[in-house]
Order: sequence, then C-alpha cells, then structure tokens
Amino acid sequence: MNRNSLVFARSLLATNVKAALALRGALATQVALMALNNLTFFVFWWALMARVPVIRGWRLGDVQLLFGLVAAAFGLTVALAGGVRQLGRFIEDGDLDTLLTQPRSVLVYALGMRSHPPGIGDVVSGAFLIATSGYLSLRSAPLLIVAIGASAVMFLATGVLFFSVAFWLGRVESIARQMWELLITFSLYPEPLFGGVLRLALFTILPAGFVGYLPAAVVRTPSLPHVCLLVGGAAAYLALAVAVFNRGLRRYASGSRFSTFG
Amino acid sequence: MTPAVAKYVAFARVAAAQVRHERSDLAGRVLFFAVILGVFSSLWRAAVDAGLPVGADSKQLLWYLAITEWITLSTPQIHLDIQDTIRRGDVIYRLGRPASFVLAELAAGLGLLAVRLPVLGLAAVGCAAWFTGWVPPLTALAIVVPIGIAAAVMLTALHVWIGLLAFWLQDVSPVYWVCQKLLFVLGGMMLPLQLYPELVQRLAALTPCPVLLAAPASFVLGSPAMAPRTLIVRLALWSGAIALGMRWTFRRAAADLMINGG
Amino acid sequence: MQPAVQLNRVSKSFRVRRARGGGMTARARDLFRPLTETVQAIDSLSFSIAPGERVAFIGPNGAGKSTTLKVLAGILRPDAGEVRVLGFVPSDERRRLAFHIGTVFGQRSQLWYQLPPRDTFELLGRVYEIDRRQHRRRVEMLTTLFQLDALVDTPVRHLSLGERMRCEIAASLLHSPRLLFLDEPTIGLDVSAKAAIRDLLQTESERERVTLLLTSHDTGDIERVCTRVIVITHGRLLWDGPVAALRSAVIGNRALDEAPLDEVIRALYADGARRRCAP
Repeated sequence: MNRNSLVFARSLLATNVKAALALRGALATQVALMALNNLTFFVFWWALMARVPVIRGWRLGDVQLLFGLVAAAFGLTVALAGGVRQLGRFIEDGDLDTLLTQPRSVLVYALGMRSHPPGIGDVVSGAFLIATSGYLSLRSAPLLIVAIGASAVMFLATGVLFFSVAFWLGRVESIARQMWELLITFSLYPEPLFGGVLRLALFTILPAGFVGYLPAAVVRTPSLPHVCLLVGGAAAYLALAVAVFNRGLRRYASGSRFSTFG
Repeated sequence: MTPAVAKYVAFARVAAAQVRHERSDLAGRVLFFAVILGVFSSLWRAAVDAGLPVGADSKQLLWYLAITEWITLSTPQIHLDIQDTIRRGDVIYRLGRPASFVLAELAAGLGLLAVRLPVLGLAAVGCAAWFTGWVPPLTALAIVVPIGIAAAVMLTALHVWIGLLAFWLQDVSPVYWVCQKLLFVLGGMMLPLQLYPELVQRLAALTPCPVLLAAPASFVLGSPAMAPRTLIVRLALWSGAIALGMRWTFRRAAADLMINGG
Repeated sequence: MQPAVQLNRVSKSFRVRRARGGGMTARARDLFRPLTETVQAIDSLSFSIAPGERVAFIGPNGAGKSTTLKVLAGILRPDAGEVRVLGFVPSDERRRLAFHIGTVFGQRSQLWYQLPPRDTFELLGRVYEIDRRQHRRRVEMLTTLFQLDALVDTPVRHLSLGERMRCEIAASLLHSPRLLFLDEPTIGLDVSAKAAIRDLLQTESERERVTLLLTSHDTGDIERVCTRVIVITHGRLLWDGPVAALRSAVIGNRALDEAPLDEVIRALYADGARRRCAP
C-alpha cells in the first residue's frame, strides 16, 4: 500500500458517497426504513426481557450492545465496501475484466465500486441501540470503536472469503450469500446459547464469534487479551481473505473457469 | 378447467418449475430453518429456566416458532420479481396481454408456494421434533396445516401488493423489510402475542398480522388464540380487504402509467 | 520503431467442464469427477501492429477475438508464444501496462450511473495517478474536442446512448494511453451518433498517435475508422491486410467486387470454415 493506493481508495470512497447522495430523498427514506427495520426487530428482545430480565447472565443492555455492534459493523461494511455483496456475481459474470485493465488493486476497486446506502440505516440504528444500552461512556468509547471496526473487518473478510470460492467452483453465489447471511444470524444471538462444538465452529469456519461475541466481550469486560485476540483475529482473517482472493484472481487469469455447455 | 383459469395455472407451473432449479436456495432455507430452531430451542429453555411466565412449556414454544417460520420462510419474495418487471418496462407488454397482471403474479407466487410449503413443512416437523423430542397432538397439526397454507397464500398476496408499489417507488425492499418486521412483532412470530405489552397486543388486533402467524401457530400451545371457525372467518375477511386494496392500487398504477407513458 | 503490439505464435486453450446433463446422479458425478475437455481458443497466432495504426479485429462469434484481447491486456496468460504490448509483457507487467492502455466496451460502462461524467473523470484521474493540473487541462481539452460541455455535468442516467459513448471514449483517453482497445463501440447507436463516434476515433487517433484495436460486427466501423483488418477464425489467423484489399481476399468464383462489405466478410468466414474442415 503506497501513497497512490491510499489516494485512490479515498477518491473511490468519495465517489461512492457522491453517488449515494445523488439519490437524495430516496437515500433518506432508505436509511430511515432500514433503521426502523432493525429497531422493530429488536422489539422482540425488549418484550422478552421485560418479562425475564436476565437470561444466562445477559440483560437487555448486553443484548442491545451485541445487536447494536453487529448492526453498526455490518452497516459500515456494506456502506463503504458494498461491492462485497456482489463479489460472487462480479467473478462469475467476468466483470473483473474491466478492473484488470486498470492499474489498481482489483479487490479494493471491486469492493469500493458499489455502496449499499441502507447500510447507513444499520449504522444509525446500531448506534442508537449502543447509546441506550448503558455501555456508552468516555471510557468505553475507544473500545467501542475498536469493537465495531474489528467486527466490520470480519464481515468484509468473511464476505470476500466466501464469495471468492466462485473462482474455483463457479456458480456458488447463492450458497455463499446464504452462508454469509447465516453468519449474521449467528452473531446476533448471545453466545451462552451455543454449546461446545458449535462454539468452536463459530470461531473458525463461520466466525460469528469474532463478529458479535468477542467485540461485545471487549466492551463489557475489557481486557488486554480480549482486545488482542479480537484485533489479531480480524487481521488474520483479512489477510487470509486477501490471499485467497489473489490466488483466485491468478486462476481467473489462467482462464480455467467453470462453464457448462452440453 | 376453463381457459381463463388454465392460463393462471400455467403461470403457477412455470414458477414452480423455476424453484426446482433453484435447489440451493431451498436448501439454504432449510438450513436456516434448522439453525433458527436450534438457537431458539436453546433460548426458550434458558428463558423458561429464568422464569418466563407463559401458559406453555419450551417444547410448545419451539413448535410455535416452527410453524410461524414455516409460513414466513415459504412465502416467496415475489415483490422483487414484480419490481424487476416494472423497472425493466416489461410490464407494458404484460398489460397488453389478456391476463390480469396481478392475478398472474399471484399465480406465480402460488406456484412457488406449492414447492416450498411441503419441503419446509417437512423441515419444520423434522427439526422441531429433533430439538424437542416431542410432537404435538395430531388433531392440532391437522388444523394447523390447512390454516397455515391459507395464511401463506394471504401473505403472498400481501407481498404482491408491496411489489405493486414499485410503480411509484425506486426500491420497494425497505418497505418489504419494515412490513416483515412489523409482521414479526404484531404477528407474534418469535414470541407469542400474549407476552407482548398490552399496547402492542391492541395494535396487533387492528392488523391482519395475528391472523397470519400467531393464531394458526397457537394451536400447538396449550390454549389456541381463537376457535378454528373464527380464525377462518377472519382470514376470509382480511383476504377480501387485501384483494380490494390490490385492485385499487393496480387501477391507480395503470391509470398513472397511461397518463405518464412508459 | 518498436511495434505497439506484437504476437508471436501465441496459443491459449481452456479446460472447460462439460456438464453431463440433468438428473441427480449426473450432477453428483459432475461435482466429484468432472468431465473436462480442452478448447483451443487461440492457435499459434502471430501478428504485429505499428504505433498509430487503426486495426479492425474481426471474426465470427467464438473465433477467439475476446480471448486475444484479454491476452493483450494482460487479463489472461497465454500457454505458449510471446506477447509484447508497448514493450511490456502483459501477463507479467499488467499494472505497468495498464497506465498506457485504455478500453472502451460498448456493452459495459465505466461511467458511474448516478453521477455526472465529470465525477468519473475525477476518479479516473486518481486511478491513473494523473497530476491534478494536467488532469484539469486534459478534461477541458477533451470536453471541448468531443463537445461535451452540456453533458459533462449531467448525471449519466439522463444521457442518451450516443452522448454516453462520447463520454466513455473521452474517459478512456484521459490518461493519454498509447493503445486503445474498443469492443463494439457503436453498438445500439443511430446513424448520426455512429458517424460522430467514428469521426472522433479517427481524428483522435491521428492527432495523438493512439493505436486502435477495434472489434466490431459493424462494417461501417471497419471501413470508416480502420486502415487494416485482421480476421481470425477458430483461433487462427485467416487474413491480415488493408481494408481496401479485403474484397480481393475472397477466393472462389463469386463476383464480390460490387457487394457490400458484410457480404464479403461473410464469404470470408465461410471460406475459413471450409479451409478448416478440409484435410
């Protein structure tokens, strides 16, 4: 990453923001509706915990924190690197060709080329839930930033990883997307609900643990080992995702792609 | 079968055939179903342990969820197909043909339902039985199945109605998401309605939501929300209201189209 | 003078998986033991293009045109042979080469749909690391030359196809590339828009000594813009020469001197097919 890459990334982001703002009224509506969507869903937890204040050691504030973190992180990812949602399709449709003729990182370009403005609604609702969870304070603010940032990186990394499978197996867009959505589902529920074997899976192949549980733990019970594990884990996943993508890109360049003609 | 009816059956058949080609999507839904039931079986046990006051045990609550999920997961996102048709301008050709656009789309939705309902129904029964080790009395299931199917049909009609909004809105997805979440809350999808605050229950009574999810599923709880006959009558009345609403919306849309052109 | 493009006995084949057909067992077998077959997309292809030349690159569908272009752009790595584009080896030096080539795809847009072209120009300035002041001057110059004053601040979704293509070509020239690849640049345009685009391409290429490599099914593009035609079929070179000499290329007893150019080309393809089938 040199200075020109950063300049490019910043310019790509700025263009994305401009494109989102070009929608004006529609943008505001989408953002508001997405925020409303998340908050309405959360009414379930609010009602449940009004009846049962503590479930396996988790209170409403804890669930709000978890939900808010995941929502904010997800929103950030799809608003800034929205291309990840279409990465599978880009690969399968050969849309990477245009990017390959330009002198910039194909991955960064592909990710930054699209933005999903409703993600801003996710960020807004997430922020609201965190703010009213009781975990927002001057002391916790830097931890929250680290938590949301790491979780967003995890979303990005897992998305890139899952969709990059298309380089090898072709039409896996639907399955990859469902796996990615499954990741979100798992990360929204408090971790004490999951048994031993599942917990292992949730920290490895479907790393919902790094997306929801660990970031929340970093804020609820701050400790240096937790922070290191979170940041290290996110960085490792990102490195893996980039490596897999680049490997896949080389395969793309060799031209052997799955195609069916009978 | 009269030619008029045969034409719509044909639409339904085509849609049904399409689902059989999207096997991975269906498999994904089944997997999601299993995951959600697994998570909630754990959650309900934890909640009941923590003292959840409801006239049902955790096994019944899980079956309740299995049924509400069965209905919602089977219902196709036909609003997206309708939005595509309207956006691409294909709708102009459809209006010129001797088939009601709305009925055709509804028929397509029913075709999709015809494939999903049985598959997801089996998944529902299988997963719920697996996680609880219990099956509700067959008399209860005998009522749930036909009423559940009727509810799914009505929900499909609602999705078609949302799709029609694409005549005026850039993107109907956020509207769909909000409606879906409202349904989750006011229809008592995850949590039976009696556990929500008074205000929410009174609000719900003004909408078709309880009739769509909570009431049909409540037959596996100790005490059903209402007698089968009452439920059927209410379903019929709400269906009538939705049908009228769709007709009015479509008339407005067609009129707008004729005034403003393509 | 170093050629802009040089291919020497370049070959590229693909291993393609063939589906056995429908049915569960067939699909399961496809997953675990796939049937592969080798498709020879380009076979020992050689040609060379001088700087500033305007070459039409044509052939029937499936002839290997897009594969060749991808090899030239560095998107695909050839199995055999040597490729040099502007002195670079494309598959090894893709990024460095990218600074000097431009692409225009008739069916894909590189302009952001919701934004005015000016915003895409701005982004491209960053992509190609163009100095700010130089970039501004270049945008002004291209805007004047291509008559984009009224268009450059209008969102792309409000532009007609012809207007959009003019902006696309301007965008592809922003970084002063020495070589421009064009894939169906006039597709879907009306007659006057086509004429405008062709004029632009010809004058720009002459003015800035940009080498053009154009694929098109429109014979008007070939005749009006290009001076040379390379025809490939089944991955092999069929004919290479000046546009004017194309008519005499067709062997056989068909009187084609007065025929329109697409008749000539069709006959040429048929010849090529016949020659390939002959032992």
